[in-house]
Amino acid sequence: MYAFNYHRPSSIAEAVKLLKASSDGRCLAGGMSLIPTMKHRLASAADLIDLNGIRELAFIRREGDALVIGALARHVEIADSADVKKSIPALAALAASVGDPQVRNRGTFCGSLCFADPAADCPAGLVGLNGTVITDKRRIAADKFFNGLYETTLEKGEIVTGVSFPIPEKAGWAKFANLASRFAIAAVMVAKTGGGVRVAVTGAKASVFRVPEMEAALAKNFSAAALDGIKISPDGMNNDLHGDPDYRAHLVSVMAKRAVQAATA
Amino acid sequence: MYVGQPIRRREDFRFLTGRGTFVDDVQLTQPILHAAFVRSPHAHARIKAIRTDAARKMPGVHTVLTGADWLKAGYGEAEGVWPVNDRSGKPARTVNRPFICVDNMVRCVGEIVAMVVADDRHQALDACEAIEVDYEALPANVVTAKALDKGTPLVHPKFGTNEVLESYHGNPEVVEAGFKKAHHITKLEVPTNRVTASPIEPRAYMGHYDVMNDRYTVWTTAQAPHIVRQYFTKSLRIDEHKLRVIAPDVGGGFGMKLYHYPEEPLALWGAIVTEHPVKWTGTRSECLMGDTHARDHYTVGEMAFDKDGKILAMRFKTLAAFGAYESQWQASITNAYHFTMLSLAYDIPGIFTEVKGVYTNCTPVDAYRGAGRPETVYQVERLIENGAKEMGMDPFVLREKNAIRPEKIPYTTAIGITYDSGDPPELFRKMRVLAKYDALREEQKKLHAQGICMGIGICGFFDMAGAGPVKMMNDLGAKIGCYDVASVRVHPSGKVTVFAGSHSHGQAHATTWTQIAADRLGIDIEEIDLVEGDTDRVPFGIGTWGSRSLSTAGMAVVAACDRVIEKAKKLAAHMLECAPSDLVIENGQFIVKGTDKKIAFAEVTNAAYHSGDRPKGLEIGLEETAFYDPTDCTYPSAVHLCVVIVDPETGRVTLRDYFAVDDVGRVINPMVFEGQVHGGCAQGIGQALMEECAYDPSSGQYLSGTFMDYAIPHSTDIPSFGIESHTTLTPSNPLGAKGGGESGTIGAPACIANGVIDAIWHLGVRQISQPMTPKKIWHALQSAKAGR
Repeated sequence: MYAFNYHRPSSIAEAVKLLKASSDGRCLAGGMSLIPTMKHRLASAADLIDLNGIRELAFIRREGDALVIGALARHVEIADSADVKKSIPALAALAASVGDPQVRNRGTFCGSLCFADPAADCPAGLVGLNGTVITDKRRIAADKFFNGLYETTLEKGEIVTGVSFPIPEKAGWAKFANLASRFAIAAVMVAKTGGGVRVAVTGAKASVFRVPEMEAALAKNFSAAALDGIKISPDGMNNDLHGDPDYRAHLVSVMAKRAVQAATA
Repeated sequence: MYVGQPIRRREDFRFLTGRGTFVDDVQLTQPILHAAFVRSPHAHARIKAIRTDAARKMPGVHTVLTGADWLKAGYGEAEGVWPVNDRSGKPARTVNRPFICVDNMVRCVGEIVAMVVADDRHQALDACEAIEVDYEALPANVVTAKALDKGTPLVHPKFGTNEVLESYHGNPEVVEAGFKKAHHITKLEVPTNRVTASPIEPRAYMGHYDVMNDRYTVWTTAQAPHIVRQYFTKSLRIDEHKLRVIAPDVGGGFGMKLYHYPEEPLALWGAIVTEHPVKWTGTRSECLMGDTHARDHYTVGEMAFDKDGKILAMRFKTLAAFGAYESQWQASITNAYHFTMLSLAYDIPGIFTEVKGVYTNCTPVDAYRGAGRPETVYQVERLIENGAKEMGMDPFVLREKNAIRPEKIPYTTAIGITYDSGDPPELFRKMRVLAKYDALREEQKKLHAQGICMGIGICGFFDMAGAGPVKMMNDLGAKIGCYDVASVRVHPSGKVTVFAGSHSHGQAHATTWTQIAADRLGIDIEEIDLVEGDTDRVPFGIGTWGSRSLSTAGMAVVAACDRVIEKAKKLAAHMLECAPSDLVIENGQFIVKGTDKKIAFAEVTNAAYHSGDRPKGLEIGLEETAFYDPTDCTYPSAVHLCVVIVDPETGRVTLRDYFAVDDVGRVINPMVFEGQVHGGCAQGIGQALMEECAYDPSSGQYLSGTFMDYAIPHSTDIPSFGIESHTTLTPSNPLGAKGGGESGTIGAPACIANGVIDAIWHLGVRQISQPMTPKKIWHALQSAKAGR
């Protein structure tokens, strides 16, 4: 780990001020991705701004037709939340599938979105459920948030404070985990909402993506059988020790069907 | 009686409360400096320049050392404890693993190029980044199967080949004849994947030089502290009496912590140069890259059957990867433990194997739990499984048919090893009942009809454990005497300290050795403590590896206790005015048989030191040391069976059930033994399904450098085990105990591989190399589908 200055603000305004003042500042929530990366000396920060002192960010609540999750809500809290299980059980299932108990006890949904790891589960949750990222100054639609490998459209000095989800009619989560990291080799969030059907895939490409052919087929007939015959191209799929493009393309189909089955079970 | 009881581990209080003392926990009165290393990022490269000036000026840096400094200091090499020899008569092409690069060539990723010693780790790492090394990358050879192909880059060009050694074993005439009259021949490619032990505690070393007393101390994550001390006589050329080696609590070794790794002498070298204690604790990445790797055999085999499924003969060709250099115990695999056990639990008339050791641009390979035998069981059992299926025979029945009959034991295999005890047919019979084998086959039929790919895997084998005897192991290539030692020091108060040459890094010797001693001495276990792991306190021992400690050090405890009792009885008899042979020991008392005359153990031990009234010629004191050289190895045997479910859509394997019936002779503590089976199976499951030290075949880059890519089983991947024992005693030691530490890692890979193939045989799959990852299984299913 390289040396850094540690800050623990107690308000969002103070955090934003610290972040803007730093030449190279990063926010810390659960730290389950950032800290190991820093320990490997693959990431560094002049200033680490620890959000854990901002208690107003630690919440999960229903707000009318939406489920809102604060930037400090841990995966375990999302997985165990009665509100989440009642309104979007697929989101609770996603949170329960993240990493291992240690990671779930510490890691946060919003932190995972900001880190934008191509194999993380949360990006598929955001995009599949058509969530909205809430920052200290604006709201960003799911489809506008990610910008490729480890990149988001957040501006310098902007801090994510939470994420809001519309309540879907149905949603399902299916994940095929890497045996080593327990990140997704391919995982799919499928949701049927008032605004249409969404199919979001993570783990398979450089960033989360939607599958329009599947969405169209499911819009007509929301059943696993509707996905039969839809071929996913291996083009652009990740190739690593754990999965080659052909295998990943195949897994996207299998996981999409299982997600629909989970949604309709 | 304590022996045979599942007594709770006496060491667990400190471990479970997080208060063990591991190398990294050791504190000294002086400040401890930290070492960090510049390591080669290339599998094969020439170093054109190393610039260290900037690093030397960095904050907190005490010294920067390179191979040039090593040469200047006139230090030596890591000489083999079990060096290879070439049984064909040609000299083996040995190059010892270097501690630091001294010839401007790096031959595997992770090889140390420079060391920084600084006030803290972070400063040392910062300084490492300031060292500039100019590498000229060279083509690398990282594929074992291709190591001897024309055009493969040479790891050590001076030899003109990548071949280290060539050896042949078995009875080729019988094999020829067997294949000639075979009714059926099965042929398979059966490579064993490269894995690494991954103990929970990474390797760590601390060196200290006491200038005033001219004494050296090394704290080390070692399994055999005296062997470490001996290594230092060659590496840093330190006289044995000047060096104290302490292996405190060690969090798992699995064979991997037996070797003189580069960081061990380098830490002490740093301490000598700076005159401060110097410590290095490996990161997980450094350990995945630098800990010895294991297995990595490329093997092709054939098996000949008669029409009834009797195995007539088998033959193999193996390329055994050494990695870039020879690690110190390499030949314990290639020259001792691999080929010797090929007959497994079966009566096989003809066996022939050709083994060629090969250099590759990979981390050196050395022994890891099972050392050679997981490879052996896998290569033979895969052939048996496929042979049975091809001939339409039940694989369980075919194995039973070939199992060595008890009346044939002692049984000498075609390789020439004699199993002294065991009853394989009984192990199979017990397994059939334990696993409800017939019901499982019925269930399988039903599940297959529903499209659920359930498979049953089976294997049966003998292990060779308990090395020595000294002579036998010398003959198999060991340059160390494979005996062990124990001292039993009875204090005047009757309390006892046992000093043993073994080392517990998970094995629970503080519990089991004291169980043995308490029974032998007739006193309470709480009155006995165990000391291990300190060369200044314990007589020269050979350490813990190869499932040997019980049948060597454990028997030395028996022998030393017996000597103590023999002497104490003379004194007690004198005090009770009877003959020593009239005495029995019970509950801390010497009792005259058939009378109520007795005297307390502590009274006798007090007299042993403090009383002038003792039998003529009886020496003062009560302390005995026994060096124990067993009469034979021990030959534990086992039958394993597993049930797997393969998801044909994703290729994922779920291990539903795992059963083991083991014959390890006398069990000292059944709970400790079950723990050994569980842990061994977990590591075998890893080998079978997920673990792999992977290298990119074109660049030679190491791909599994963190636990994000190197997959070890999680608790959720492990089923509940069904374990049973069948006990036949070995005549080779007084307790009849055989080694129980490796059965799981030896049996599980073959067992699970057979289960997976059994699950998808009907879909046309015949073989998948390990680890049988979801990706590989899915591709195998696709190829089978395309081929149908």
